[in-house]
Amino acid sequence: MTTSNQELSTQPAAAPASSGPAAGRHASSVNARRDGRLEKIAAGEFVPAEIHDSLRSEQAVLEIEKFNLWYGAKQALFDIQMIIPRGKVTALIGPSGCGKSTLLRCVNRMNDLIDSVRVAGQMRLNGDSIFASGVDVIELRKRMGMVFQKPNPFPMSIFENVVYPLRIDGERNRNVLEEVCERSLRGAALWNEVKDRLQESGLSLSGGQQQRLCIARAIASDPEVLLLDEPCSALDPLATGKIEDLIQELRGEYSILIVTHNMQQASRVSDYTAFMYLGHLVEYGDTPELFTNPRLKETEDYLTGRFG
Amino acid sequence: MLITLGGLGTILAVSLVCVFLLWVVVPLFLPSSLVPLSGASAGGGAPGQVVHAGADEYLRIGWVATADGSLTAYRLDTGEQLSRTALSHDGRPPSAMSFALRDGHVALAFGNLVQLGSIDFQTTFVEAAELPAELRELPVGEIATFGQGILERTAEGQFRLQQLRVELPEPAALKSDSEVALIDVSVSSKGTVFAALTRDGQLHLAQVTQRKNLLTGEVTNRLRSGSVQVELPAAGVPSYLKLAGLGDAVFLAWEDGLLQRFDTRNATRPELVEQVDLVETPEDKLTALAFLIGKTTLVSGDSAGRLRAWFRIKPDEAPTADGALLVAGHELPSMAGPVAFLGASSRSRMVAAASDAGQVRLFHVTSEHEVAERQAPDAAGAMHALTIAPKDDALLALAGDRLLLWSIDAPHPQTTWASILRPVWYEGYNAPEHVWQSSSGTDDFEEKYGLVPLVFGTLKATFYSMLFGAPLALLAAIYTSEFLHPRAKARVKPTIEIMASLPSVVLGFLAALFFAPLVENIVPQCLALFVTIPFAYLLGAHLWQLLPGPMAAYLGRFRILGMVVALPAGVGLAWLIGRPVERWLFAGDIKAWLDGQIGNGIGAWMFVLLPLSCLAVTWLITSFVTPGMRRYAGTWPRLQFALLDLGKLLAGCLLAAGLAYGLGATLDGLGWDPRGTYVGTYVQRNALVVGFIMGFAVIPIIYTISDDALSAVPESLRAGSLGAGATPWQTAIRVVIPTAMSGLFSAMMVGLGRAVGETMIVLMAAGNTPVLDWNIFNGFRTLSANIAVELPEAVIDSTHYRMLFLAALSLFVMTFFVNTIAEVVRLRFRKRAFQL
Ligand SMILES: Nc1ncnc2c1ncn2[C@@H]1O[C@H](COP(=O)(O)OP(=O)(O)OP(=O)(O)O)[C@@H](O)[C@H]1O
Ligand SMILES: [Mg+2]
Repeated sequence: MTTSNQELSTQPAAAPASSGPAAGRHASSVNARRDGRLEKIAAGEFVPAEIHDSLRSEQAVLEIEKFNLWYGAKQALFDIQMIIPRGKVTALIGPSGCGKSTLLRCVNRMNDLIDSVRVAGQMRLNGDSIFASGVDVIELRKRMGMVFQKPNPFPMSIFENVVYPLRIDGERNRNVLEEVCERSLRGAALWNEVKDRLQESGLSLSGGQQQRLCIARAIASDPEVLLLDEPCSALDPLATGKIEDLIQELRGEYSILIVTHNMQQASRVSDYTAFMYLGHLVEYGDTPELFTNPRLKETEDYLTGRFG
Repeated sequence: MLITLGGLGTILAVSLVCVFLLWVVVPLFLPSSLVPLSGASAGGGAPGQVVHAGADEYLRIGWVATADGSLTAYRLDTGEQLSRTALSHDGRPPSAMSFALRDGHVALAFGNLVQLGSIDFQTTFVEAAELPAELRELPVGEIATFGQGILERTAEGQFRLQQLRVELPEPAALKSDSEVALIDVSVSSKGTVFAALTRDGQLHLAQVTQRKNLLTGEVTNRLRSGSVQVELPAAGVPSYLKLAGLGDAVFLAWEDGLLQRFDTRNATRPELVEQVDLVETPEDKLTALAFLIGKTTLVSGDSAGRLRAWFRIKPDEAPTADGALLVAGHELPSMAGPVAFLGASSRSRMVAAASDAGQVRLFHVTSEHEVAERQAPDAAGAMHALTIAPKDDALLALAGDRLLLWSIDAPHPQTTWASILRPVWYEGYNAPEHVWQSSSGTDDFEEKYGLVPLVFGTLKATFYSMLFGAPLALLAAIYTSEFLHPRAKARVKPTIEIMASLPSVVLGFLAALFFAPLVENIVPQCLALFVTIPFAYLLGAHLWQLLPGPMAAYLGRFRILGMVVALPAGVGLAWLIGRPVERWLFAGDIKAWLDGQIGNGIGAWMFVLLPLSCLAVTWLITSFVTPGMRRYAGTWPRLQFALLDLGKLLAGCLLAAGLAYGLGATLDGLGWDPRGTYVGTYVQRNALVVGFIMGFAVIPIIYTISDDALSAVPESLRAGSLGAGATPWQTAIRVVIPTAMSGLFSAMMVGLGRAVGETMIVLMAAGNTPVLDWNIFNGFRTLSANIAVELPEAVIDSTHYRMLFLAALSLFVMTFFVNTIAEVVRLRFRKRAFQL
């Protein structure tokens, strides 16, 4: 990502922040700006996150409580405490290596696959604990859909790709499968492009189509949360636009947690944005407010591209 | 650049190998020819009615015996008459004569007197001093007539004299007053037998057996003789009397095609056992009848030009008294006109036939193939005789007064594609068969070069070793790449790869000297292993589930130890159930059972049905029972669910066993007993042993390549599948394996290539019997082992030598084919992997 691009995108957002129409809030953010959090974080101190009030009114689909994670001896997440609101799009932003993907992967316990990982704390999906000892990980993952940075369609037909989550559940009814396939492909705004070639290989699609195919696959099993890890980073602007439109359409129907490096994208598609730094949640609030009027100087610096 | 050069060099080297193989093999299939050598006029004019003709092995002298009893020797290149002997007794010409194909044995009859003697060639060296002056200066390699023989100056400068030698001792009288009309003699290592038919229809037989007392060295002759009255048909005395090589049969044949066979194994009591019609229609006449070498196969020629070869077979239910049946095993390509003469080779199964019109054709009887054809020059006149020279290098014919000599250029008369690839009816076999047998103790043995048993052996070795090795290697690769901890895998993989570095000669040695004798005594236990080991693993996995959750999680890292324990547990279980299983399925004695002597076919069905029913039950359970169980018992406590799962396993095993047994019993009840097909008589060195040991050779290769292919599947696909809620097993089955399919396939192909070409293991452990038998308990001989065994003793450029090269070429083609498929698939796989 180029700095110029970021500056272009964040300047207009930062401008109203300095003009300060809301004095009280401005004052508090000015206060907050001075406490040098990033340095403290870097020095290993714990600093509580700045969480906007707007989140309190939201109903949580996912609750994260005092969540810590270690890769071996190295701690990658520190006391993350946040809720993901239901039916909304939540963006995770932060400099590279700050733990966004790690956090996202914890939600469907994909981190179990990594041997050295150790966690402490709790996560709850609609009230059900994710990390409690008796949890069936497979069942848990079925309640979520995940889309990765790089499109990863399976080397099988488009149809089979979409209905994969049902197949592994042992669904055989052709009618059900076809119906789900169409619904998911429509949901992923891919139906019109592929409806005549459902039996062709998923690999024959373009990169953007492949990513939408993966989204179709992720929503085929009607997930409670949709986890998107930089879904557009491998795509060109046009394909990115389509995916963003798609996320807009999915809003409301699905609760979406999206990791992105693209500030513009975060500001365009998300309702809430969380800013992370070195494994800490720094600031979390509703997107327009965070972008236009961050409470913390650090957030503003990041949004304006002064670091990261 | 260097790489290109290297690649081109490799291609060049491989092509050169191929070209070299072809270079040696192609002469097998080159057409043969008859080339005129000489055609001198016989000195003294055309001989009379020729009974027999012969030539010496240097093609210098030809001789002709005529019906009037004169024996004339000619110099073949000039036609000069060298000598003339009268075969007579008391001035009488012989009433019957017979001449053996080789060794020069002759039998003559004068009235009721029988004279057994010999006519052969004598080679002596003459001192120069004894020679007339003009011959002393004979240049090296030149020949000249000297006395009654031919003098040749050898390369060493000696004078070699070659002349016809006739030895006829005093005749002996038959116990009959009637004149002998037909006579034949056979000399074998057991002694001399002759048969004579007198005009009154008495068939006389006399056998002289020589016994040597091993202590005193004294030789005793024992004479056994007997006779039988032949009921002569209206046609009178037969035209031919032929005595088999071992003296065990006499054939009388009449001109109308009737042949009577007498069993003369007991010389004192000859017995008519069979009558056969040698011609097709009543109009046809039998015009020629001759033995092939070994005096077992008779070749008949008739007036329609038909040529057939007859020999005795021993079918299961022969209608004859001696249990043998004379059959027309071969039908040779017909002659244009009536067959006038037959001349058999004295060293191979070739026979030459001539028609009255002067058409001369040379056949190889066993392969039913015309080796060469030639027309006698018209100017020569009517044919009198035809004979193949002792070294099979020339054909001598008498036409008019001409001595026609053709050189036979047929180094490999018996090899045709049909004789190599199709069943061939060899003398003494009951039916056409695929046989490879390149050597034997006897002289008149026919080499049998059917490649099919060897190709079959190669396929059998490949099949059984892949049956054993491929699933094991594939499953191991899937396990280590998908389920095993990377750290453990880092140890396991090199260990398995070390297996590949075991020299195959060591493996073969182990298999032959340690493993084969060991397995022989514990066959039921070894068979039980195939069931108990998988069962032990499954049981172990289910028992593991019974552990309380936290404990299982804690012990998770020691899971591989559990697997290490399951193996000996399976072996122990096999040890325990081996005997009971033997009693239950194999009538208490598996070897006798395999021979088909005792018990029923259920056990044999179990060999195939048990794996199949296990697969069927697994499919049933995974697609119907398990989803249902998840739905109804998914929320049960862990222990309860694990118990249910264990119950499912045990029920499934019982079901599979029951299903297999039930089906096997049904099939057995229907009368199908598979013993004698894929299972059968136990041989110590067998395909089971080879399959197991060859596993050591193919498993590491298949394993390594498969593991690489599986590891090459992008991690993102696994993540995608797991993220969608698939279990690691589902991920492996539905995503990873299909993605890596072509890689797995090429791994199999490379393993297959290794199994096809493997030599030492099969050489040492497969018993090397070239039999066509799928029986897993029988041995086999592969192309590669055959080459290794026989090439050292094959004479360069002989048919045998070239056939071994053909075997090598076949092997080359097979491995090339397999590897090409593997490569093509691998390239496709690379392209697809590139897309991901
Ligand atoms: N498998 C792993 N083993 C050890 N450390 C890891 C592993 N994966 C990530 N980390 C470390 O954890 C930290 C967080 O990584 P993570 O991938 O979550 O960052 P991220 O915010 O997603 O970065 P990016 O924006 O570049 O994707 C990093 O310091 C990284 O080095
Ligand atoms: Mg990331």
